[in-house]
Amino acid sequence: MNPQAILQIENVSFSHPVPNGTPVPALHGISLTLREDEFTVLLGANGSGKSTLLRLMNALLLPDSGKVLVNGLDTREPQNLGKIRSLIGMVFQSPEEQIIATSVEEDIAFGPENLGLPSPEIRRRVEGVLHIVGLESERSRPPHLLSAGQMQRLALAGALAMQPRLMLFDEPTTMIDPAGRRMLMEQIHALKSRGVTVVLITHHMDEAAQADRVIVLRGGRLELDGTPRQIFTSAGLDKYGLELPPAEVFEKALRPLIPGLPPHIYTLEMMLEELRGIHPPPGVKTVAPHRSEIPIQSETIIRVEGLGFTYMKDTPMAHRALENTSLQVGQGEAHGLIGATGSGKTTLLQHLNGLLKPQEGIVRVGAFDLNDPGIGVRQLCSLAGLIFQNPEVQFFEQYVGDEIAYGAKQLKLAGNLRERVREAMDSVGLDFETYKDRFTWTLSGGEKRRVALASILSLDPEILLLDEPTAGLDPLTRRAIIRHLQDLHGRGKTLVLSSHRMGDIARVTDHTTVMQNGTSILAGTTGKVFSRGETLLAAGLEPPLSAQAAVILRTNGWPLPEGITCQEELISALRACLGGKP
Amino acid sequence: MTDFEFLSKINIGQYLPGTSPLHRLDPRAKIIIFTVFILVLTFTRSLQGLVLGLVIILAGLLLARIPLRFALRGLAAPLPFLIFLALLQLFLTPAANPADVLWQWRFLQITGSGVMAAVTLLVRFTALILTIGLATSITSSSDLLVGMNALLRPLTRIGLPAEDAVMMVQVALRFLPLLAVTAERTAKAQASRGADWSPVKGNLVQQVKRIAPLIVPLFISSLNKAERMALAMDARAYGSHRPRGSMRELLFTWKDAAAIFLALLLSAVVSIV
Repeated sequence: MNPQAILQIENVSFSHPVPNGTPVPALHGISLTLREDEFTVLLGANGSGKSTLLRLMNALLLPDSGKVLVNGLDTREPQNLGKIRSLIGMVFQSPEEQIIATSVEEDIAFGPENLGLPSPEIRRRVEGVLHIVGLESERSRPPHLLSAGQMQRLALAGALAMQPRLMLFDEPTTMIDPAGRRMLMEQIHALKSRGVTVVLITHHMDEAAQADRVIVLRGGRLELDGTPRQIFTSAGLDKYGLELPPAEVFEKALRPLIPGLPPHIYTLEMMLEELRGIHPPPGVKTVAPHRSEIPIQSETIIRVEGLGFTYMKDTPMAHRALENTSLQVGQGEAHGLIGATGSGKTTLLQHLNGLLKPQEGIVRVGAFDLNDPGIGVRQLCSLAGLIFQNPEVQFFEQYVGDEIAYGAKQLKLAGNLRERVREAMDSVGLDFETYKDRFTWTLSGGEKRRVALASILSLDPEILLLDEPTAGLDPLTRRAIIRHLQDLHGRGKTLVLSSHRMGDIARVTDHTTVMQNGTSILAGTTGKVFSRGETLLAAGLEPPLSAQAAVILRTNGWPLPEGITCQEELISALRACLGGKP
Repeated sequence: MTDFEFLSKINIGQYLPGTSPLHRLDPRAKIIIFTVFILVLTFTRSLQGLVLGLVIILAGLLLARIPLRFALRGLAAPLPFLIFLALLQLFLTPAANPADVLWQWRFLQITGSGVMAAVTLLVRFTALILTIGLATSITSSSDLLVGMNALLRPLTRIGLPAEDAVMMVQVALRFLPLLAVTAERTAKAQASRGADWSPVKGNLVQQVKRIAPLIVPLFISSLNKAERMALAMDARAYGSHRPRGSMRELLFTWKDAAAIFLALLLSAVVSIV
């Protein structure tokens, strides 16, 4: 046995058992060896078998055939289980379900307690880990009162306290803001430098670019295995549901215009560093602003002023969520809401369809005054449709068709229900005949997201409120959803969407409001907002690469207009500068 | 006030951190004291005793600096049921003697003993609910579990799975708020798509009708959550080492002994008067 190998997977196949049915094959003949202090990223489309492979690694699942050896111990031997679990820490996607104890420190202690360690040693580890993840001040709080970001930290802490030699992360960055992702990536690099082996599942290509090794699964088979450079230069990434890291997409687009740029830049930091050395050639032209900075005059459809809101008001658990928040959205506008987790985006969105009533300040949506106690979600839901974060966990009908028809049935809307459902499904690219009789729980992640979207569209609301519409989707599905949103916007719908993906905000929205600690701190056209790099960083966010690049190039003397947010705008502005056609 | 704050209606398991003498008791002492109190309040027959018990609990709440409104929150849910029971007692208690009848109309009658029984019932349950409220607000669930674990450990010697039982309680306590949060999300999702969640007053049938559509999605999501939580417990080596370690080491002092002694004394008084 190779003494350097912490994990060996030998020709492993696995099928998910189905009660009274044929098992669903998930993995076929996977062989893989992980060496010590190696940082590996596992990529693949939704449903390609990544999570299954991860669970085979720490014996949560056992292979149907083949062998998994952890530090030389076979996972199929029951007496090895305790030892294997003490060697491997795991962080799952949804933090709230992996928190077992009823206070922060007790939860961190859960793993070490299971290992039967002496009390002083457990306390020492809990102290150390609390410090690492920065939860010292929350130590005795019950987990359900933590913010999403804090829960994610706690989930990480629980695994770290076991001092594992191998850490497995199952899409931990799905639900968190850019600052949270940075924290997690820093932790991963710190683990690696302490000699811990790390395996990370992610849909973020820029995270994959930072790995030592990238493994790509497709349909349960290991298709690619190599360094990020090898993987991202190989042909046909699309067929694996992958895309190039944003920095490299950017580099490829920019290089014809800026020949000084070296090839194969994977990370944002490298890209920005390179750009700092790029100065304009003599004779570049000044170009007019790419898009009009004068807001298009449209009627205000959503007006929020001085909104304040406290959850569990008048109880000892009261939690202030919004403070003096304002929001203005014009008819037909696509408005982005950005901010760190816990900054109040969801609370604000839930005010806009009447789920929450304003405690302070005013909320007006269309002709409705939400301060009027007689007006609530029932009146508003056919005007403003809200699509929740992870909407698929709330499906309550068995069949796709029924799920989509639910709202129209509840409201007893006029017209042909069948046609209504068909139309809603068409507009998100789901074929009516194929999907109407499918069971909702058999759909893939992307299909579920489409059904959730259609179930709101069937009410034909003028305003769509979307809470993290692309979280947890693989790159291809995400792009498809973004296209549907752009399409809906093009058809005159007003959109208000929150997202941690600044690139998505840049692509879809024309205006953006920034939230920080429950208050709206900045609002304006998306271009203007993204040019305020420092304000965004302070709010736990970061502007998209193109916006940052535009700022750097401008300081270097490129006569670029303000308000550039996405790649297409930057490229056409650069072309214009260099004298080509815009 | 919103219609969707299910979490705030759960009283059990909501610990209010504090530094009062009651908070600082050893968890084992707390468990013993409150068990004794609950037993006494359940079995005491005399109204005077129950009123005294109620006073003692109110004093306890004061000493622990728990807001009365917070402690009374737990009373809101069972109140209609309690009033119904009290009304049954009021009207259906037979007269002990003819002089006992206070009011009569056809077959309905109110007797002196009926009034006593109804009042006793209300006082008993108020005292019990406040006792549980006090116990849960001064005992963090980890205290409760550590204490239970220590008290039940001798049972493992005769082969009873005390550790697993305590773990079941722990998971249940963790699950309760999780369930409330899930119910809240599902209700919000349904309301956003036109389900009627406007407040319904009084009518029980309507209330039940409103809750019913929540039950299936709640069941499914709870089962999924339970499964994932079990995976997470497995991943963190649950069950790989017996006995489990414990972060906390308990220290039983003379103060705890004194508190138990005082509680026994008060209980005796309550059951005698």
